[in-house]
Amino acid sequence: MARAARFTNRFDLVLFGACILLSLVSMVLPPNLREPVAGSLRRSLVAPLVRLQEGAERWRGAYISAEREELRRDTLALAAARVPTLESENDRLRGLLGLGSKLQWGFIPAQALQGRGRIDDFTITLSAGSRAGIRERSLVVAPEGVVGVVQTVDPTMSLAILFAHPDFRVSAMSADGSAFGIVQPHLAKSATTAPQSTYLASERWLLELRGVPFRSTLKPGAVVYSSGLGGIYPRGIPVGVVLGEVKTAEAWARTYLLRPAVNPAEISSVMVLTPQRATSGLTNVWAEIGVVDSATKRIVTAGDSLARQAASAEAAARRAAIDSAVRVFRDSTRRDTAAVADSIARAVPGAPVVRRPPAGAARPADSAAARARRDSASGVRP
Amino acid sequence: MNWGATVRTVLLCSVLVFLHYTLRPLLAWRASADFLIIALLLAAVRVRPGVAAMIGFIVGLASDSLALGAFGAGALAMTLIGFSWSKLKAVFFADHVLLNGFFLFLGKWVYEVVMNVVERRMQGAELLMQILVWSSLSAFVTAVAGVLALMALRPVLETRAA
Repeated sequence: MARAARFTNRFDLVLFGACILLSLVSMVLPPNLREPVAGSLRRSLVAPLVRLQEGAERWRGAYISAEREELRRDTLALAAARVPTLESENDRLRGLLGLGSKLQWGFIPAQALQGRGRIDDFTITLSAGSRAGIRERSLVVAPEGVVGVVQTVDPTMSLAILFAHPDFRVSAMSADGSAFGIVQPHLAKSATTAPQSTYLASERWLLELRGVPFRSTLKPGAVVYSSGLGGIYPRGIPVGVVLGEVKTAEAWARTYLLRPAVNPAEISSVMVLTPQRATSGLTNVWAEIGVVDSATKRIVTAGDSLARQAASAEAAARRAAIDSAVRVFRDSTRRDTAAVADSIARAVPGAPVVRRPPAGAARPADSAAARARRDSASGVRP
Repeated sequence: MNWGATVRTVLLCSVLVFLHYTLRPLLAWRASADFLIIALLLAAVRVRPGVAAMIGFIVGLASDSLALGAFGAGALAMTLIGFSWSKLKAVFFADHVLLNGFFLFLGKWVYEVVMNVVERRMQGAELLMQILVWSSLSAFVTAVAGVLALMALRPVLETRAA
């Protein structure tokens, strides 16, 4: 029994040693001997496993390519979805550019962040603060008109209330100055609005022009501007557009419902007016923003048309050069033909005489070219 | 080991080899589990050390045939690992899953070290980084996969008496 155990132990050791020896031998085999061994293994034992691996890698490749395709589609869809946003942003920035060029001084550009997402939250956070020159009660405007007023100022940011905030008030007037009143948020539910949710969703963002004298009437679509009375808002900033008259209990004054000049959903980039700029007057600034914007567009269009004109002029010049070269070539060919015909006529009596213009009646272009050649030739001589 | 146990072991090893050539390429992790090592452990603890060394040699040589740069290195490493496992099985661990995991980790790490040293593709800091980080990570993943496989297959498997 002990002998058998010793034998098996010895057998294990021999087998182990043989395997180690074979491994070492295969490691030092020269390539011409190694390749047949490895090749026979690849063709027999490993071949089905390699096929399995190939299949798995093909699956993986298909999965990755499908994923890439999906990503590509998503990217395209995302890019397509971003186009309207970019266009809108471009329009807004173009408007701000127009407003800035018209204001010229005394304004601080800022980003308006509406981060809290509550429906009754009528404040915005501005990305500029007292370090940028913003003070409390500074006026926040957009290219379309009044946005709100700054209430709290920190060194790097500030908080402003929007026009729909319950504390917002501005003295306003019609464009011709015939009707004056106070604009405030449309807090009360109008008769036309039934459910509370609809009221919160849409009409809460409207404004009211209250206290308009009974003799003054405003038509729907009339623009209402700030009147400059009250000291905060200078005269001439659009506040809203009249939607219609609201029936109230006040018998001596009219109340009009206004659509705000600025769409609250599009408040992203704003300008904060410094107090000095606000007191120095803003008359006609908003009236001419559209003019500046359209002027910018005209300049761009004019640039395009100038480029087109330059290109067409260049093409015309090229055509003219080619035509003149063709003309010169034809003239010289004609002169050579005439000279040959003359010599033939002189040599053969009775041959038809070819008429040619007299020597003195040469073409102006030809003579000018000849003169140019003579000048250049004389210029070359010492 | 009776015939039934032999057949079961062969089948399970075949499944692990199948996983090695299908699941590994599908996952394509840099530090992936080595199912051949797990299969070798499963087989080695059930046979005599000489036979385990021979199995390791054959499996290593077969995998070497696809990587001619280090032909024989895998066979050498697998032979060592198979023989050691079969010997250690009788001495140290009976059927403890965590010990199996530890020896799987050790076996795979030794295999990686032998392959990296013999292949001589990397040197210096790069070799050190490969051995200490990637080989260890691969050994860890292999150990985890092996432990999971052993736990799942415990009812099917029976080990050789020490």
